[in-house]
Amino acid sequence: MNLPGPETFAANARAALTDETLRGALRRATDTFAERRGAALAGVPDWEELREQARAVKAHTLARLDHYLEQFTRNAEAAGVHVHWAADAEQACRIVGALARQHGAKRLVKSKSMATEEIHLNAALARDGAEPVETDLGEWIIQLAGETPSHIIVPAIHKTREAIGALFVEKLGIPPSSAPAVLAAHARERLRRHFAEADLGVSGVNFGVAETGTILVLENEGNARMTTTLPRVHVAVMGIEKLVPRFADLEVFLRLLPRSGTGQHLTSYQSLFTGPDGGREGPRELHVVLLDNGRAAMLSDELLRPTLGCIRCGACLNACPVYREIGGHAYGSVYPGPIGAILTPQLSGMERAGTLPFASSLCGACKDVCPVKIDIPTILLELRQRAVEGTRESPAARGGTVERLAWRVWSLCVTGPRRYALAARLARLGERLPFLARLAPPLAAWSTTRERPRLAARPFRATFRRPS
Amino acid sequence: MSSARETILARIRAGLAGAGVPALPPVQSGAPLAVAELPARFQLLLERVGARLVRVADLREAAAELARLCAAGGVRALVASDAPELAPLLESLPAALVRHGPEAPREALFACDLGLSCAQWGIAETGTLVLESAEERHRLASLLPPHHVALLPRSRLLGTLGEALARVRPGAGAPPSRTITFITGPSRTADIELELVVGVHGPKHLTVFLLDSA
Repeated sequence: MNLPGPETFAANARAALTDETLRGALRRATDTFAERRGAALAGVPDWEELREQARAVKAHTLARLDHYLEQFTRNAEAAGVHVHWAADAEQACRIVGALARQHGAKRLVKSKSMATEEIHLNAALARDGAEPVETDLGEWIIQLAGETPSHIIVPAIHKTREAIGALFVEKLGIPPSSAPAVLAAHARERLRRHFAEADLGVSGVNFGVAETGTILVLENEGNARMTTTLPRVHVAVMGIEKLVPRFADLEVFLRLLPRSGTGQHLTSYQSLFTGPDGGREGPRELHVVLLDNGRAAMLSDELLRPTLGCIRCGACLNACPVYREIGGHAYGSVYPGPIGAILTPQLSGMERAGTLPFASSLCGACKDVCPVKIDIPTILLELRQRAVEGTRESPAARGGTVERLAWRVWSLCVTGPRRYALAARLARLGERLPFLARLAPPLAAWSTTRERPRLAARPFRATFRRPS
Repeated sequence: MSSARETILARIRAGLAGAGVPALPPVQSGAPLAVAELPARFQLLLERVGARLVRVADLREAAAELARLCAAGGVRALVASDAPELAPLLESLPAALVRHGPEAPREALFACDLGLSCAQWGIAETGTLVLESAEERHRLASLLPPHHVALLPRSRLLGTLGEALARVRPGAGAPPSRTITFITGPSRTADIELELVVGVHGPKHLTVFLLDSA
C-alpha cells in the first residue's frame, strides 16, 4: 500500500476534508475525549502543580539524559535485563530480528507501541520471515486492513463498525455482525490462539525508571499483559527519552497520563517490570532496546528540547482544530496532530516534513492541554522559520517568492506616512471594484473560505486630526 | 552493541555540552485521604469502573462467598495464585471443582472459568488493586480467566497512588518485585467507534473480597 507522506500534507488534508465518514468519526472521538478529559480534571485540584512538576522532572532528566540512561542500564542489568542500544531504526529492527532468530521465534505477538510503529518493526520482521501479530484491538483491525493508525489512543478511529464487521467477515470468516461487543469477542478468541502459540512478545514502554531499572507498560485491554506474560521472551522497545529519575516520580505521570488521554483515573492495567521473573510465570528473558533514532540530536537546542518530554497521551490531537478536521493520516507520519507537527520534522528532517509546522492555526489549545506543558506553538514558529530559511527547494519554501514579494510591498507601504496614506486610499478605491471582491490567486486560497475584512469608511488618521 | 551505546552517549553529550541543568524538584505526592473514608471511597471507585466489592468479616465468610459465586457462575475449573491465605477458601469448594496452580499447563489455565488471587494493596483514590510477584504468583490467575476474584485485607487499603508506590519499595534502595501489576477494573476497550466493551483480552468481571478481620 502506498501511503502518503508528510511531503504531500496539503493534498492529504484536502482529501481528508471530503471524507464525511472520517470527519464524523473524528468529531465524535475528539469531542468525547476532550469532554472526558475535562471531567477527569475536575477532580484534581492540584492539576496545574502536577503539570509543572512533570515539566520540571522531564526538563531535568533530558538535561542529564546520558547519566540517567547509564543509571537505568546499570540497574536493569543488575535485575537481569538484557539492555540493547539502537542508534537508529535499522539497528533496532536488527536487534529484535536477531533475538527472534536466536530463540527460533516465528510467531510474535505485539502490544501497541508508537516506537515500533516509528521504526516499522513489523515490516522488518516480516522480511525476516517472522509473523508479528498486533494484539491491541484497534491495531489488529488496522493490521488486518493493511492500514496505518490515525490516532495515538484509538488507532482505528477512522473506521466505522460496519467497515470493521465487513473486514472480519472477509479476513476471519465470521458471520456478519457490526456489534462492537461481538467483534471484540471474536478478536479475543482469535488472538488468544496467537498468545498461546507465540514465542516472543514485543511491547513498548511508557516510562523507564533510572533508579530501579524498572519499565512500566500502561493499557486497558489486557493484551499488553498477555504479550509480556505468555511468550518465553519479552522484548520492550523504549525511546531513550522515556526515563524518569525516581520510582516515586511515577505517581505524577500516572496521575497525568490517563486523565489526559482517555479521561480515566487510571487505565485498567499498569505492569511494572524490574527484571524478568525467570520463568516463574512470565518470560525467562527480558530485553530492553533503547532507541535513539534522531532523539539525541534533538537535545542540542534548548528551545526544541521539551518536544522530547511528550508522554504520548493524545490530548493535543483532540484539542487541535486542524487535527479534528483532517485526522491522523493526512500528516503522513506515525505521530500526527500538534505533537506530530513538531516531532516529525525533528525526527525525519525538514526536507521530508517541513510542511507540518504550518499545519496549525497557532491557537494554542495544544499547549493548554499538554500534561507536560510543552510550548507547542512556540516550537511550531521556530520550525516554520527554519523551514523558510532552509533549502529554498524544500516543499515548505515553495511559493516563497510570492510571499517574499508580498511582504516587501507591505513593508514599503507601512514604513512611510505618505506611502501608507496612498496605499490606504488605493485599497479603499479597490474595495469598491466588484471584480476585486475576491482576491486573485494565490491570495484566493485565503479569501475563498473567509470574509475579507472591510476598511473603515473614514480613516483613523482623519478622525485623529479633526475629531467630528 | 557497545559501539551503538558509545555513539548514542556521545551524541547526547555533544547535544548537551555547555547547557545548564535545571534542578530535579522534590517528589510531589497527592493529598492523603482520611483512613475512615478509605473503604467507601474504594468501593465507589471500583464500582465506577465496573468491578464489584463484597465485604467479608473473615476467611470463613470469604470461602462461603466464593463457593456461592462459583455455583452461580457454573464454574468448573479455577486457577489460584500460590498465596497461602487462599488455602482455606480453596478447601471449602466442592470436590468436583478443578483447582489449578499457576504452574499448570497453559491449555488448562486458558480453560479456567475463574482466577483467584490476593492483592497486596488497594488504592482508594482510584479503586486500584496492587499485586506484587514477590508476594504471590498472580500474573496468570488475574489475567487469563473471564472472572478474577481478589482477596484484599482491609488493613492493606491505602489512600493514594503515591502511598502504594512507596509500599512496593520497602526501604531505600530495596528493589521492587520483579512484576508489579496495578489493576483498575475489568479489561476494557473502546477501539470500535468508542463504544465501551468490557472483557476484551483480560477478565470481563472483577470481584474484590474486602476482608475485615486481617
